[in-house]
Amino acid sequence: MRAIKGVLFTCDPAVKQILLTMNEKDSFIIEDLDDHHLVIKADDEYRVRKELEAELEKNTYSLEA
Amino acid sequence: MSVKRSAEGTAESSSFAKRARKEYDNDYAVMGNEDDAIPPSPPDTSLVPRGATINFSALTRKLAEARRAKEKEPANMSSLEAHRRQQDSLVSHIFMDQDFSWLHLKPDHASRPLWISPEDGHIILEAFSPIAEQAQDFLTAISEPVSRPAFIHEYKLTSYSLYAAVSVGLQTEDIIEVLNRLSKVPVPESITSFIRERTLSYGKVKLVLKHNKYFVESSHPETLQLLLKDRIIREARLITTQTDNSIKAATFTTSKAPVKGNLTIPGTKDSEKNKGDTANGVTTSAPGQPATRSATDADLFTSVVGVESDEIDEDDENVHAFEINDAKIDDVKRRCNELEYPMLEEYDFRNDTVNANLDIDLKPATVIRPYQETSLSKMFGNGRARSGIIVLPCGAGKTLVGITAACTIKKSCLVLCTSSVSVMQWKQQFMLWSNVTDRQIAVFTADQKEKFAGESGIVVSTYSMVANTHNRSHESKKMMEFLTSREWGFILLDEVHVVPAAMFRRVVTTIKAHSKLGLTATLVREDDKIADLNYMIGPKLYEANWMDLAAKGHIANVQCAEVWCPMTPEFYREYLREQSRKRMLLYCMNPNKFQACQFLIKYHEDRGDKVIVFSDNVYALEAYAKRLGKPFIHGGTGQVERMRVLSFFQHDAKVNTIFLSKVGDTSIDLPEATCLIQISSHFGSRRQEAQRLGRILRAKRRNDEGFNAFFYSLVSKDTQEMFYSTKRQQFLIDQGYAFKVITHLDGLEDLPDLVYRTRDEQIELISSVLLANESEADLGTDVRAGEGDLAGTVTSKDFGPLKFPAAQRTTGSLTALSGAQHMSYVEQNKAANKSLAREAAPRHKLFAKRDKEKAAARKEARAAGRS
Repeated sequence: MRAIKGVLFTCDPAVKQILLTMNEKDSFIIEDLDDHHLVIKADDEYRVRKELEAELEKNTYSLEA
Repeated sequence: MSVKRSAEGTAESSSFAKRARKEYDNDYAVMGNEDDAIPPSPPDTSLVPRGATINFSALTRKLAEARRAKEKEPANMSSLEAHRRQQDSLVSHIFMDQDFSWLHLKPDHASRPLWISPEDGHIILEAFSPIAEQAQDFLTAISEPVSRPAFIHEYKLTSYSLYAAVSVGLQTEDIIEVLNRLSKVPVPESITSFIRERTLSYGKVKLVLKHNKYFVESSHPETLQLLLKDRIIREARLITTQTDNSIKAATFTTSKAPVKGNLTIPGTKDSEKNKGDTANGVTTSAPGQPATRSATDADLFTSVVGVESDEIDEDDENVHAFEINDAKIDDVKRRCNELEYPMLEEYDFRNDTVNANLDIDLKPATVIRPYQETSLSKMFGNGRARSGIIVLPCGAGKTLVGITAACTIKKSCLVLCTSSVSVMQWKQQFMLWSNVTDRQIAVFTADQKEKFAGESGIVVSTYSMVANTHNRSHESKKMMEFLTSREWGFILLDEVHVVPAAMFRRVVTTIKAHSKLGLTATLVREDDKIADLNYMIGPKLYEANWMDLAAKGHIANVQCAEVWCPMTPEFYREYLREQSRKRMLLYCMNPNKFQACQFLIKYHEDRGDKVIVFSDNVYALEAYAKRLGKPFIHGGTGQVERMRVLSFFQHDAKVNTIFLSKVGDTSIDLPEATCLIQISSHFGSRRQEAQRLGRILRAKRRNDEGFNAFFYSLVSKDTQEMFYSTKRQQFLIDQGYAFKVITHLDGLEDLPDLVYRTRDEQIELISSVLLANESEADLGTDVRAGEGDLAGTVTSKDFGPLKFPAAQRTTGSLTALSGAQHMSYVEQNKAANKSLAREAAPRHKLFAKRDKEKAAARKEARAAGRS
């Protein structure tokens, strides 16, 4: 029996869409549960979080220092 | 800078900013042809050399720290002090260069409202302080407002602002004195020396046109002598008298200093009263020098009061002047700027006997508002016309200010605006407010080339008509000769912030005008050209505070809100996969935005508001309007239909909502509108946002008790629109508007006949969006600029029929064209619908394997059971 350590990821539908797009490049989703939940590989959790953060930050305007 | 920003409650980090900026640049590279598509570089008008001051201040800081360390040895400090010191050193590294804790606070600092940054001349004002109002008056006179939200204001001392301060008659020592009284810390050495240095030379030299000759004038003969030592200026000097060289340098024409005399600005309510007061050279109302308020705050402002009397009176009654050559005026101006003796340009129009008077006046019924009067009193402060820029919000009556100025000067006047539509509007306004006759006012556009009858008059034209250098028609060439051959008493420059610097320079140099007045609502440029305006027109004479005007009922009170509409999963999926401009179409057509728009329209129609919905994107505009059953106007709408729609909106109680494309940004005046919803806009254009807000600022009902106008921006969450939306708001936020964020509209779900409620409908919508052409995503495609309109100032009223695209010709062999050359039909695009109904994601290998094993095990078990 082979086991993969997974993490349950709760998000809103929009973020799920971003994750699905990211998954196409580099697969990390184990199971797509519903609009708000995903199971992803635990090893990729940190990387996914960081990439997601960067992706969301693109739409944020901040004053230049 | 980050300290200041955090003071306004805007958390930021430079790395984010950098990233955001980069992203922004990329986007703009694609949409490069639009007016605001210039990467933002906030104009840094401060002339303090950056590197030099930082080193200097670092040194000051070190010295101050050293002094403090010497003052108190740790041994003889009280325990509290020691504790404090320790705390300070713990947090001080967070602020890095911006740690100003070494500045010495005055004991009664709590009652003083402002703080000055020793490094870059930024002034932070506590707007909630009891004396903030007086402080504001003073600060607007000596510095430029950067940001004025509700509680903390930010101003900036710049060379130009100090130049302007001196030009209205403030004295160096008074400025420093008052700053010191208001400041929590003693005014830093670097700031006082900056003020001294700038004010010492500014305003001391004036360029005066008298009897059609240019004179360099000063009340300080030594300054003139200093200037004459410069080679360029000496060569430009025109010698009229037969004196020998050695005496010449020391003798200037000497004359009586001007006093305000009996000049009154027409239309002011107290123009009668003014006459009495002005005899001694004091104006009744001068912003910045709170003369009127001085009674209550006499002790604080005694030093500034009375400065209004021209500084010339201080030393002697005489001014000295020498004449310079007309042709070399530009060189002299530039040279004087380099020598840090920039020349003030003033026009002594009452003593101008050479240019014919123009007999115009405001109509007796015309009354100008107090702030318009204030702005004009800055312009005509000493009985002469100063050149400069007046900044007033949209809808606050800029036109009337311009007309009043023209009626005060009463000389030939040239009005330049951005498009042929506003040319007609200016002419109409002149006819409306003043008693100018049809014969005295002429129009110079691509279609109309008139000259006024008589010796003097008004010509209204566009910047590009006048600045055009390439081939002109015979008629316009003759018209240009007419314009350049004569002298103009006054040149009025509308919307100065949009004119490209090069075009501006051409206008300013080809037209000989005695005084210039620039008008604008938004003195922001996405490029770094604000400083150029200062040099070419003059300093900013007056900038109104939007919030003040709203509080006094001159413009409407506006509630601003940003409504966040989540993207539906289907739309967001397509949005993420789409790289082209069609992305924009996807976030405009988001069904949740559709619903929010429907809800807001319904809500405000029920309240009795008249609603305008703005969409730059014509495709979205039509889709929304048709779906929601509302009338719409865009460039393709015929003239007759447009008039009908507009009159229905204005007069029919049943038509309370219209949809407008970019055409509504400026040209259509709808004082009935009280609520504005924007569903798609021009990227990050701060100007457009301000212009659109201006549509409802002049709401007719603004004087009703407790009346509020509403301004909504609908934004699709998690898309680029969020970025643009925040950027667009910056200008209005700096003016003191606060944007509320609405994440959920209460009662949206309960709305009967809500559009796109079901998933099927939404999928239908997305398939139609995906089928749309990429060109549909373009903004403002319906508006084409007419000849003579400036790029980016789309205001065309007469859109004309859309032109058919010209035929394209390509060469190719007949075989190739008929498909015989390796050409075969391949279906490359899958039907969009198919990709919509997402098939379940393929199972992960692990589960697939388990499933397979399970199935095998079951089969085995069954096989075992059977046997």
